[in-house]
Amino acid sequence: MDSQAEIARAQELERRIRAYEELENGDEWPGALRATDYIAIILMTLVLVIGCYLWGY
Amino acid sequence: MTKHEQINHSLEAERGDTPLLPSERMWGFWEFSYANSALAIATWAFLIGGATALFVGPREGIAAIIIGNILGVLLATFSTCAPCGKYGTEQFTFLRSMFGANGSRLVYVLAVVLLTMGWLAVLGLMFGRSIDGLGSLVSDHQTDPGGALVLAAGTFAILLTAFVVAKGPTSIKVFNTIVAPALVVIMGVMLYLILGQHSFAELMALPALDAPFDSKRVNFMIAVEVNMAAGFSWWPYIGNLARLSKNQRTAFWPNIIGIFGAAALGEVVGLLAAAALGNSDPTVWMTHIGGLVFGVIALGFVAFANVTSMINILYTAIVGLRQLAGAGLRALKWELLVVAFCIVPVLIVLLGPGIYDGFFIFLVWTSALNSALAGIGIADYFFLRRQHLNLRYLYVNDRQSAYHFWKGFNPVALVALVAGFAIYVVLFNPQTLANTELFAFISASIPSCALAGLLHYGLTRVLAPRLGWGAYPKDDEGRGVIDSIVRGFSND
Repeated sequence: MDSQAEIARAQELERRIRAYEELENGDEWPGALRATDYIAIILMTLVLVIGCYLWGY
Repeated sequence: MTKHEQINHSLEAERGDTPLLPSERMWGFWEFSYANSALAIATWAFLIGGATALFVGPREGIAAIIIGNILGVLLATFSTCAPCGKYGTEQFTFLRSMFGANGSRLVYVLAVVLLTMGWLAVLGLMFGRSIDGLGSLVSDHQTDPGGALVLAAGTFAILLTAFVVAKGPTSIKVFNTIVAPALVVIMGVMLYLILGQHSFAELMALPALDAPFDSKRVNFMIAVEVNMAAGFSWWPYIGNLARLSKNQRTAFWPNIIGIFGAAALGEVVGLLAAAALGNSDPTVWMTHIGGLVFGVIALGFVAFANVTSMINILYTAIVGLRQLAGAGLRALKWELLVVAFCIVPVLIVLLGPGIYDGFFIFLVWTSALNSALAGIGIADYFFLRRQHLNLRYLYVNDRQSAYHFWKGFNPVALVALVAGFAIYVVLFNPQTLANTELFAFISASIPSCALAGLLHYGLTRVLAPRLGWGAYPKDDEGRGVIDSIVRGFSND
C-alpha cells in the first residue's frame, strides 16, 4: 500500500468499519429487521402459497 | 478533511466496494420500491406470463405466478438484501464471508459477468423488437426480428443504459421515479381492458395454450418452476441495490412491492393477454386490446421499461466488478468501466440476436445456479454467522483474513454450490423439460436451495473449526464476531 490514494482509502475504510463496529456494540441496530418482520414475512408467504395452491390448483 | 473529500468518499462507496454508511444511503422505502418496480417491469415480465399460459390455464397460471415468485424472491432477498442492507457492503464483497475472496470472484464471473452480459443483450433486443413493433403500427413497415431496425434499436438501448449508469445512482433514481409509476398505471389499464373484453369467469375457464405433458401436476409445477426461476433471477443484482437503502427494513420490504408485486402483476397481464388472444408476444396483443393509440403508448413505455431494468442490472454489475481485481479496477474511471462492460452485449446484439429466442431456457438455467447460491447464503449468514459479520475480515488482504479459507476459496461452499446445481438438473432439465417424479411435488429450485444450504451448514460445522476457516461462532457463542483483531488463518 504505497500510493496516497491507497492510504486515503485505507483510512476511509477504517472510519467506515469503526462506524459499523460501534453500531454492532450498541444495544439496538436502527432499522434492523425484527422478529415481527420475520413472522410477518413467513405468515404472508404461507398464506399466499397455501391460498393460491388451494384456489388455483 | 474537506467537504469536497467527504463527497468523493461517499461517491467512491456508492460506486465501489467499501461499506456505505447509513447516513449516505439515498433510497427510502418508496424510492427503493420505485427502483425495484423499474427493475421488475420489462418485456420479460409479459413474456414469462405468456410462457406460463403455455403450460396451464389462467387460474392455475395466476397461482403459479404468485407461488413461484414469492418463494423465489423471498429466498433470493433473504440471502442478499438482509446482510447488504444491514452493513451497506457490496454484495460480492459480502460473499467473501462464505466463498472466500477468490471464490467470490468465481461466483461473480458465473452469476454476473456471463449472465448480465446475456441479460443486457436480451433486454436490448426486447427494446429493439418493441420499437420494431411500434414502427409497424404507425407505418407500413413489416416487422423483422433480425432486421436492421431491431439491431440498431437494441444497440441504442445498451448505449442509453451505459450513459445513465455512467452518471451514477442519482440519475438512476430520477429515471426510476419517473418510469416506474407510469408502468404500473399502464399495466393496470391493460388489465382493465382485458377484463373489459372478457369476464373474469371466462378467462379463468380458458385452457392452457400448449400443455407439454398429460399430467396436470407436472404442467403446473413447470409453471411454478419458471416463475420461481424469475424470482431467483434477482439474486445477482438485488443486494447491490439494497445497500443503497437507508436501513435493513427499507432494504427488504420494498422487494415485496417491486420484484414480487410489480413483476407478478406484469406476468399476470401477460398470462391473461396470451390466454385471451392466443399470442404471447406483447407487441402483438397490446394493439389488440387497446387499439392503435393505446398500443403505441404502451409499446413505447414497455420499450423503455427494458432500459430501466438494464440500468439497474448494469449498475449492480459494475459495482461488483470493482471488487473483482482489487486496486487495478478501482483505479479505472467509473465511466470507462461502464463502457468496457457494454462492449460484449453490443456485440451479442449485433452478431447473435438468436439469444432472444432462447430466453426461457436461459432464465431457467440461471435458477439452477441462483437457487443454490441463495441456500448457501441463508445457511451461512442466518444460521452459521447468526447475522453478524466481521467487516475487517471482508476487507483485509486475502491471506491475513479469517475469510481467506483455502487459497481464497471456501471448498465447502463450492461443494454445496455444485451439489445444489446438480440436484436441480437431475430433477428438472431446463433444456428438454425432462423431469423426475419428485419434481412434480417439490419443484427443482427448492431442493437445490435446501440441499446447498444444508450441505454448507453441515460441512462447515464439521470442518471449519478443525481447519480454522471462516471465524464462525461456536455453538455456545451468541455473536459471530469473535474478535476484532485480524489474525492469520491462512491454510495455504
